[in-house]
Amino acid sequence: MKSLVCVSKTPDTTSKISFTNDQSALDTGNIQFIMNPYDEWYALVRALELQEAQGGSVTLINVGPAANDAIIRKGLAIGAEKAIRIEADPQSALFVAKQIAGHAKAENYDIIFLGKETIDYNGSEVGGMIAELLDLPFISYASHLEMNGNTATIHRDIEGGTEVVEVETPFVVSAAKGLAEQRIPNMRGIMMAKSKPLQVIQQAEAGDLAVAVHFEAPPPKKAVTLVDPENMEELVRLLHEEAKVI
Amino acid sequence: MINQYIHFRNLRFLLHEVLDAEGLTRFEKHAAYDREAIDMSLDAARQTGDLHLFPHYREMDKDKARFQDGEVWVHPTLRPAIKALADGGWIAATDDFAAGGQQMPWTVFNACLLIFYAANGNAASYAFLTRGAANLIRTFGDENLNRTFVPKMYAGDWQGTMALTEPQAGSSLSDITTAAEPQPDGSYRISGQKIYISGGDHRAVDNVIHLLLARIKGAPEGARGISLFAVPKLRPEGGELVANDVVTAGIFGKMGQKGYVAAHLMLGEKNDCKGYLVGQPHKGLAHMFLMMNEARVATGIMAIGTASAAYYAALKYANERPQGRHPSNKDVAQPQVLIIEHADVKRMLLFQKAVVEGSIALLLQCSYYADLATVGLPEEKLRAHLLLELLTPVAKSYPAEMGIQSVSTAMQCLGGAGYCDDFPIEQFYRDIRVNAIYEGTTGIHGMDLLGRKVLLEDGKAMTWLLEEIKAAIESARAIDDLRDMAEALENTVRQFHKTTMGLIRLAMEDKPEVFLADATLYLEYFGIVVIGWQWLKQAAIASGSLKDSTAEEEKAFYGGKLITARYFIEYELVKTKGLDERLNRRDRLTLDADPAFIN
Repeated sequence: MKSLVCVSKTPDTTSKISFTNDQSALDTGNIQFIMNPYDEWYALVRALELQEAQGGSVTLINVGPAANDAIIRKGLAIGAEKAIRIEADPQSALFVAKQIAGHAKAENYDIIFLGKETIDYNGSEVGGMIAELLDLPFISYASHLEMNGNTATIHRDIEGGTEVVEVETPFVVSAAKGLAEQRIPNMRGIMMAKSKPLQVIQQAEAGDLAVAVHFEAPPPKKAVTLVDPENMEELVRLLHEEAKVI
Repeated sequence: MINQYIHFRNLRFLLHEVLDAEGLTRFEKHAAYDREAIDMSLDAARQTGDLHLFPHYREMDKDKARFQDGEVWVHPTLRPAIKALADGGWIAATDDFAAGGQQMPWTVFNACLLIFYAANGNAASYAFLTRGAANLIRTFGDENLNRTFVPKMYAGDWQGTMALTEPQAGSSLSDITTAAEPQPDGSYRISGQKIYISGGDHRAVDNVIHLLLARIKGAPEGARGISLFAVPKLRPEGGELVANDVVTAGIFGKMGQKGYVAAHLMLGEKNDCKGYLVGQPHKGLAHMFLMMNEARVATGIMAIGTASAAYYAALKYANERPQGRHPSNKDVAQPQVLIIEHADVKRMLLFQKAVVEGSIALLLQCSYYADLATVGLPEEKLRAHLLLELLTPVAKSYPAEMGIQSVSTAMQCLGGAGYCDDFPIEQFYRDIRVNAIYEGTTGIHGMDLLGRKVLLEDGKAMTWLLEEIKAAIESARAIDDLRDMAEALENTVRQFHKTTMGLIRLAMEDKPEVFLADATLYLEYFGIVVIGWQWLKQAAIASGSLKDSTAEEEKAFYGGKLITARYFIEYELVKTKGLDERLNRRDRLTLDADPAFIN
């Protein structure tokens, strides 16, 4: 199975987010970046499992600047055999999708994996766009994937249950929790990652159709309100009028 | 970035800004450990801690190890935890590539070890105890022993232990009586018993290999007659593993670390316990002690890992718990303030931060010396070796002793809640206590420091340490905001040196009893001085970095370093005055105290 795994760089969930340039850009000065967990824990690991079971290859791809190399090498440390970084400063999902599709078109990957979303923008956009650009099927939110020859049986988490679909390779799939179990790179993998190929290629012409112009942080959480346990009326009023949950 | 048990930003600060761990890449052995590899290693350690260790810390205490039907039952999460550490390559991480390791510098490895111990010292201890035992076989054992035992130990399938203590011989190892009788096949028949054997028997592994001290029949009396043996619970024979007459009589009911077994072993009751000599006959204690610096630094790391986890639990509580109002506000209609607003709570939190981060700095400094002593340039090696020798008793004892006080203070921050098991502090308090006993009690280290290490190589180690401290003082003196702190440490160090010279004169007057009577207090004094040195070093770097910082979180980080360094100087360094006064008295109060009067 020849797999391509798309990986993104996202802020660590414990980083404090702030904005700069008149609230138009993320202040990256103090952020610890990580590989997007859905890409790392589920998409990459399931691709590796298929390779281990059936042979083939696993290639990582990232669209971004050289600062992303540390994130990419973590994927190599976990087990991917090579990586491609498309040198760019992406501003939109469409730009990223066009870059990845441009590369994938000539490579004939059987499966293109990516996480169901990034944990910063939560857009879930890139996978569908890649599929459209390559004219491939797209299966989103996969929580289980089994291969039988060239046919994949995929479970998708849907509202109130599970949908089971079958699809022939090649296809694009976005990975949700359950698709695989997180792997931690071992020290041998970390050492070997340095010698694995990380190819940098130039971006293709692809303009951004939309750019972010302004960000706003959510309002700070309010302090808790302590309600006298004897005063049920006040509790009901607060839940109804302020929390608006009843 | 702080998670529930360790402050990763602090580790990166110490490794990259204070110690220049990446600079070790100039040595061929560590050429692969650039900043990216170091950060990736820390990240992998953190993920291992988050996934396999920390979630089970409290469960392993509540569902503690138990002895039942002749077997030692441990928490079911222990086997996968040991395997995760083994599969991650952590057990052999510092070994050469050729030996199956990753040539990781001690500086980086011990930062990762701290993460594991802070996440769950009970579980991590099994794996890293195995590491020490395997290392003894690898270093001193013959090829056959290596081939038989080490791969299984590094894979986490077999446990390794250090079997030293006997009922009549604890700190005084020269009094051990476990016997080893040579056999025609080259092995030895072992008989005796060992107590308090950590990891001594349990069901989370398939076999246990004891690195055991015993006396070969006819060997000289005392320490010079002790040899080192590998004694398996199951011995390989005819392609199978057969029982080796090592029987667990029971496990000890400990105050803390209840998930970490301490076993009582009976060896050779049926005359069928085989041991295999590791290294040379009668050199067992010397072989064992070659690993002692590593084990003692690791004990300091284990202690401060626990204190770190307790500190961040207390800090979280202090930032969430409203209670009382400022003394100037008597209006009960006003909302209560968070307890972190109270000066005394701030004092308690700063004390913990000072102890935890000061100890980590010293432990990583020692680890850096361990690297230079191994791979450094010829002129660096001796200096680093002697500094490591001198500082090891302090790096073990300060985190252990002050860590206990730090966790006690964490409990105080939570008040009654901290004493109850709804919160983890009571477990941290029980778990940390043993570190002042492991690998030599504090009293033993006091005597080792004053009786041996201070005089090492005609005092060269001490001279070099004072040079290192002086360099830090000069760096800080050049910064206006730190000048008073530099001078405070300088004055303390001057008096400390004078007192040390006075004690050495006492030793030369052939009064060893008086000289060593208060060695533990000298160790305490020494500890405060070197932690002061470490805080001044950190403050000088933080002061420069603060000026270049724009992000609020970074400003808070460096500001935290500066206020804690000042806290240490103002609140901890001054404690040396009482110790100094006591150490300059020449009375024989404890020596002459009639035991009958201690009633």
